[in-house]
Amino acid sequence: MLSLLQNLIDGLGRGSIYALLALGVAVIFGVMHLLNFAHGELITVSGYVAFWALGAGWSWWVMVPLIIVTSVATSLVIERVAFSRVRGASDFTLLLTSFGVHFVVSAIFLLYVSASVKNFSRPGWVADTFSIGSLNVEIFDMVVIVVTIVTLIGTTLLLQRTMFGLALRAAAADFDTARLMGVKSDSVIRGAFALSGFLAGIAAIFWLMRAGSVQPSAGIDPMLKGVLAALIGGLASLRGAVLGGFALGLAEVFLRSWLPDSIASLTEGVVFVLIALLFIFRPQGLIATATAERV
Amino acid sequence: MFPDLRRDVIFPFGGAVALFALFAGIALSYQALLGTGSAERLVTVMLIDAIVVVGIQIYVGNTGILSFGHIGFGAIAGYAFAVLAISPTEKAKRIADAPFGLDLVDMGPWLALAIAVAVTLVAATIIGIGLARSGAESGAVAATVITLALLFVTHEVARNWPEVTGGDRAGLAFRIGGALDSRIPIFIALFVGIVTARLFAQSRMGRLAVAAREDNLAARAMGVNPLVQQMVALLLSVAIVSVGAALKVYEDGSILPDDFFFDFTLLTLVMLIVGGRNSVTGALLGVTLMTAGRELARRLGQDGFEIFGIGLDEAPLDWIFRENLQTVFLGLSMLGFMIWRPKGLLDDWELDEWFHRRIERSDAPAPERLSELDSAADATLTVSDIDVRFGGFNALTGAGITAKQGEIVGIIGPNGAGKTTFVNVITGMVPATAGEFSISDGDGTSVLTKEPSFRLSRRGLVRTFQNLRLFGALTVRENVEIGSLVARQGGAKAALRDPDALIAEAGLWEHRNRRANELDYGNSRRLELARAAATAPTFLLLDEPTSGMSDSESVAMIEQVRHMAATVGAGVIVIDHDLAFITGISDRIYVFDQGTVIAEGTPDEVQNDPHVQAVYLGSAAG
Repeated sequence: MLSLLQNLIDGLGRGSIYALLALGVAVIFGVMHLLNFAHGELITVSGYVAFWALGAGWSWWVMVPLIIVTSVATSLVIERVAFSRVRGASDFTLLLTSFGVHFVVSAIFLLYVSASVKNFSRPGWVADTFSIGSLNVEIFDMVVIVVTIVTLIGTTLLLQRTMFGLALRAAAADFDTARLMGVKSDSVIRGAFALSGFLAGIAAIFWLMRAGSVQPSAGIDPMLKGVLAALIGGLASLRGAVLGGFALGLAEVFLRSWLPDSIASLTEGVVFVLIALLFIFRPQGLIATATAERV
Repeated sequence: MFPDLRRDVIFPFGGAVALFALFAGIALSYQALLGTGSAERLVTVMLIDAIVVVGIQIYVGNTGILSFGHIGFGAIAGYAFAVLAISPTEKAKRIADAPFGLDLVDMGPWLALAIAVAVTLVAATIIGIGLARSGAESGAVAATVITLALLFVTHEVARNWPEVTGGDRAGLAFRIGGALDSRIPIFIALFVGIVTARLFAQSRMGRLAVAAREDNLAARAMGVNPLVQQMVALLLSVAIVSVGAALKVYEDGSILPDDFFFDFTLLTLVMLIVGGRNSVTGALLGVTLMTAGRELARRLGQDGFEIFGIGLDEAPLDWIFRENLQTVFLGLSMLGFMIWRPKGLLDDWELDEWFHRRIERSDAPAPERLSELDSAADATLTVSDIDVRFGGFNALTGAGITAKQGEIVGIIGPNGAGKTTFVNVITGMVPATAGEFSISDGDGTSVLTKEPSFRLSRRGLVRTFQNLRLFGALTVRENVEIGSLVARQGGAKAALRDPDALIAEAGLWEHRNRRANELDYGNSRRLELARAAATAPTFLLLDEPTSGMSDSESVAMIEQVRHMAATVGAGVIVIDHDLAFITGISDRIYVFDQGTVIAEGTPDEVQNDPHVQAVYLGSAAG
């Protein structure tokens, strides 16, 4: 029972970060039908900015706005330089474009920084825990969960209460119709990339706090988590993406504690297999949005 | 007629030989010209990369499904090969704890290679079933993610299963008494790969796969089950990739998890798309260009070259020419081609096809006209009491018709009457909530209600689409040939006519070698009709065949449809909202309104029916 609760908190903490990443992936998929394999690069870029800023003696409190600004700006730049040129292209082209962006960004750091891992100091409280009875709770997990919930509420309000949110949801439901109804595709897409960058920025803060390091290929892992979580949730559904993030986090933590020691190191592999099975039996993800091709 | 021995076998084979000779020739002359050890090594790597890329092309090119997983299959093959081929004494040092007695296995490299390929094909079968279940089709995102998951799973397993793989860093130092000491196996594998890729693309399977790549729905509507073709393409493709991977391991003398991961995936995919993923010639061109470009970038980034007295590693150029320049080059190549030329330099251009077109007489006389069939067959289509509900909306309520082979039945009704939904039901694209339909002929009655669309079309119910669904990148002739390829699966039929003759009947003979997406609207409509007729249908279902046509074109279409149907002895069910067209073409007419049949009869009877007048003219119904 105790370990169950412990795992639950760990899983929710992990899942929170995945949920933020997945939501960013789903927002962009909604407006562009683009599965963004370059989403993790927002964390790579943020990581290098954090590495330099912390190296210059700045505090982690300054990192918070700095990382968010970096992530939003990077997201917008990537949209401008690459994705705006392939709008409406085939899915094949879109997938490989984002794959290409991933490689170019990591190659730039490989070229101008180095292939080696760059370490930076983590805030002191990241590893601290407090006890409730015999339950050890990481402060970090609690902070992540609370900040994520606040962010998700804010995002929900943005999507439900503003014109931009309405346009974005309309575009995600049916982009062509939305455009005919007067939604400006340019500003919706840019807004979606900004929102996606903002969410990734929050995720980046926590991801980097925990990792304490960055390297050119640092984006692969968070990208994969975000993309898989969004797929678990069904890609087209924003709510599904958040649920997918939590489901992925919980699945990882619980599998790691349940699997026998000899294969515990294969947890990620097992998670991939489970996800592949999910696609095989429910290709639309957990939350299926019915879209039939018109004939 | 397919298979055209020259076009589909001899020329592709000759083209493959020429491509192989050209490619190997370029590689070997580069090596001879430089004569250095590093040039020799570069050429070996390029030849092996070419095997892998040609292998990937078979799947990605013919199905249009982007796979990140082929390098994952390569990892499976590479490790299987390494573990089997390394001598027991070496294994005792590296992986003494290997399960299943693998550490004691002692076999020659070629047997090991055969087993490695077999093991990988088993994995490919499982993944292939998964891809099929996920509804894989051209550009499908879920399918791509499954392949990506495979790449990550193999990488994770390779890293975390040191008992077999030697783990993350150590690698399987690979000594079977020396690494690969001759290039002959590489040349053989490359030759076989190129020949396989070309012959598959021209084969029946390959053509059907490409049809589904171009338009999955239309292919299924013609009786193609794309999952079969995709599976065959996957297995062929993986077999060649695994041979390439095993040879790579053999040549390198070691294997590490990162050898078969993102970098190799990027490299092979860039090679594939730069030349043109839909073409074997393109794949090899891409391998050549990217190998050269990458090597140039690597050298420029590394060595202290000077151009016009300016050192590349000094200001102002040092910010470009740095170590690892080649990774930026690969990434930018992928990005640039996706943005400016997503189909690559050659698109689907093939050496042998070009040569075949050059020598084929373009003024070949049109085939003789086809006589109309004096159809002895008299199948009857009976559709009864079909209900279709979308949520709370009743699209069809108790709709039913009967139609006889050889007769033209019109269905008319205002927009939203349920006409297209009705055709969708009897072609398996929308499931009926209730009701039944069947075909009866001399052999008895078969109920077809639950059959998938590709079976319904094989059973003789073949449709066209309101919004035109041609296989755009294929020529007029190839489009029609797809129809007859499918039809011939079911054995000889009287209604199976020569595709070339059908093209001529449709008035498209002079356009036969043009791509379908270059045709004007009227010709596209006629092509869709000819393509459907080529499947030797029992019933042709035409969904608004005159939509977007002028009045005079519509009138001409009446004759076209009548003649085409009579040529293959099919019955016709045609839906339209153009009263003049429907009354002009039909023997009998059903009038639909709000999902039900409100009138039935000859054109005259229907035109005089007060209900119909009410629906069409808005006058008070009697």
